Amino acid sequence: MSKVAIIASNGGLFDAYKVFNIATAAAATDQEVAIFFTFEGLNLIHKEANQQLAMPEGKEHFAEGFANANVPAIPELVAMAQELDVKFIGCQMTMDVMGLEKESFVDGIDVGGAVTFLEFAKDAEVTLTF
Amino acid sequence: MNEIKANLILDAKGLACPMPIVKTKKAMTTLEAGQVLEVLATDKGSTADIKAWAGSTGHQYLGTLEDGDVLKHYLRKSSGEEATERKHPNVATNDELLTKLQNNDSIVVVDVREAAEYAFDHIPNSQSIPMGELESRLNELNKEDEIYVVCRTGNRSDFAAQKLAENGFTNVINVLPGMSQWTGETKSINN
Repeated sequence: MSKVAIIASNGGLFDAYKVFNIATAAAATDQEVAIFFTFEGLNLIHKEANQQLAMPEGKEHFAEGFANANVPAIPELVAMAQELDVKFIGCQMTMDVMGLEKESFVDGIDVGGAVTFLEFAKDAEVTLTF
Repeated sequence: MNEIKANLILDAKGLACPMPIVKTKKAMTTLEAGQVLEVLATDKGSTADIKAWAGSTGHQYLGTLEDGDVLKHYLRKSSGEEATERKHPNVATNDELLTKLQNNDSIVVVDVREAAEYAFDHIPNSQSIPMGELESRLNELNKEDEIYVVCRTGNRSDFAAQKLAENGFTNVINVLPGMSQWTGETKSINN
């Protein structure tokens, strides 16, 4: 099975869609997917923060477009990704810096350092950074 | 609008990328090998996505029909049929069948693939009798006719040819490899 390794390092709503759309599409196409959430990227799997991710400044008017296109909410995409066995790795170092505990995040994540991700990514055919 | 028979219909209308693909994957796992899935979608990107998805997961993309704003995609679950051993002794190549057709020889071509496979790509004037329906539709064929049986790769047609021979059809020929490499003229529901 080929692998897709993703780094999520930004925490806005657009970033979340980029990450989870690619991840779920890849997982649905029988690829093994892992996402490393680091710095602001941790917002995407934070239980409260990911319910209300911000649009980029000046782009707030796209909210209507999202609703019209029937795009799933981020927590739904997170659940779907997990159901498709996408592996979530939270960055330990960022969590320490920001004073966050594993319990603040969605269930089922791994917490690890850069090497945890690199170990997965070393033989991935596709590596993406958002 | 023409109707094409499918074993399962998935309604992904109104859903945006990547949902049609995610739902397709889930629906496909509930099917048995060789069965046909129809996916209804309104996401315009879904045609390219479904095709690519089939390509990388090994399932067979049959084609897409447009019905107003709704796209109907047809997929057949991969069957691993490439591995079976063929038993019907009387065989012909695609080219031999093509020559017969070009000479207007009085032959009958029976296509035993699923109706959805036939719909998107078949030999003109061939008769569609899916493998699963063959036994109950033998009366549509004449025992004396020279019957060429085709499928995608020559395996389902091998079973069908054996079945016909067992039922007293004397001049049955399995066509190898079949539609997967057919170079002659074809017809499709889309043209």
